[in-house]
Amino acid sequence: MASARAIIELFDRQGVTDVIGVPDNSSAALYSALAGHPRIRVRSVTREGEAFAMAMGLWMGGRQPVLLIQNTGLFESGDALRGTLTRMRVPIVCIVTYRGYGKTMRGFGKIPDQLDAELLSRSDVDNCAPITEPTLRAWGLPYEFLHTDEDLGVLEAAFQQVREADAPRAVLVTRDTT
Amino acid sequence: MMTKDQALAPLAACRTDEIVVTTMGMVRPWAAHSTHDLDFASADSAMGHAADLAVGLALAQPARKVVCLNGDGSMLMTLGTLVTAVDNGARNLVLFVIQNDAYEITGNQRVPGAGQVDFAAMARAAGFPRAHAFADPAPYAAALPELLRGDGPVLVTLRVEPGRESPLGREGKETAAYLRRSAPDEVRRFRRLFVP
Repeated sequence: MASARAIIELFDRQGVTDVIGVPDNSSAALYSALAGHPRIRVRSVTREGEAFAMAMGLWMGGRQPVLLIQNTGLFESGDALRGTLTRMRVPIVCIVTYRGYGKTMRGFGKIPDQLDAELLSRSDVDNCAPITEPTLRAWGLPYEFLHTDEDLGVLEAAFQQVREADAPRAVLVTRDTT
Repeated sequence: MMTKDQALAPLAACRTDEIVVTTMGMVRPWAAHSTHDLDFASADSAMGHAADLAVGLALAQPARKVVCLNGDGSMLMTLGTLVTAVDNGARNLVLFVIQNDAYEITGNQRVPGAGQVDFAAMARAAGFPRAHAFADPAPYAAALPELLRGDGPVLVTLRVEPGRESPLGREGKETAAYLRRSAPDEVRRFRRLFVP
């Protein structure tokens, strides 16, 4: 698992000014640790789709935001992502917590790549998991994984990659932050 | 009921250094009144999210007013934005809702709640300290300077006649200056105004 403290230190190094999104169990520790941060502002939204457009506005206005949302919120944000960060090539890191990853890895040993009605309706499957990566690929959002603190280099690299590509990128957080 | 010109001409006359975000049926009409560097068209963009974009700009530039010319159809798609604007303290946001009861861009189909929805009441319920509705051009024009002053967020509903705007694009046949650049170029031009 990744520690909130280490992630926030990384945000500080990268000049992050705003964290926008809706908390979930996996990001709860990170949101809690960000409360009261002297420089990074947490921006709340009612739905994740708002977050993408708000992030674009913040970036256009000179700030350096990141998104912090759950994959369920990503699903509801399709047109918002398409029409803002993707269409406008806004270089923002989107941190997406990966609901269902642990349960599915424990049950199947991998994230299933064959999606059908039977799989997606099984009571022992959290169907967020098998949908997440195909959705990101379909929407053209490159992604990497952040499992533990040992992967923080991936998150650090994502900030460099969005600047080099002049485009957004996702980092999937597979375990609860601590 | 007022025309688009009656809605926009007084705003263009009062406008100084405010950011103006337009969308849908107000994009081209606003361009007929303004070619200001601080105009941004939420066109070729995300459906219904112009107000969220404006909230982000307002938070990034708190010393400057941000005016958003939103449509009623767009506003209905993201009503939560009213709460978001207040919760985040976007006190410099002036959010216009151009209420023509129609999805003008796609042929003036009726929006849900046409003729019944009270956006000013919704805004007040969401915590907007100031929310106003105007159907007649004269009282609107008289009130406008005050609407642009002081703390908000402010919501202004204008009852406007439906027009005949066609779907928006960028480059190509578009003549409005802020539609002549690609979407990524326009976003970067805007950021450079604040981060040279």
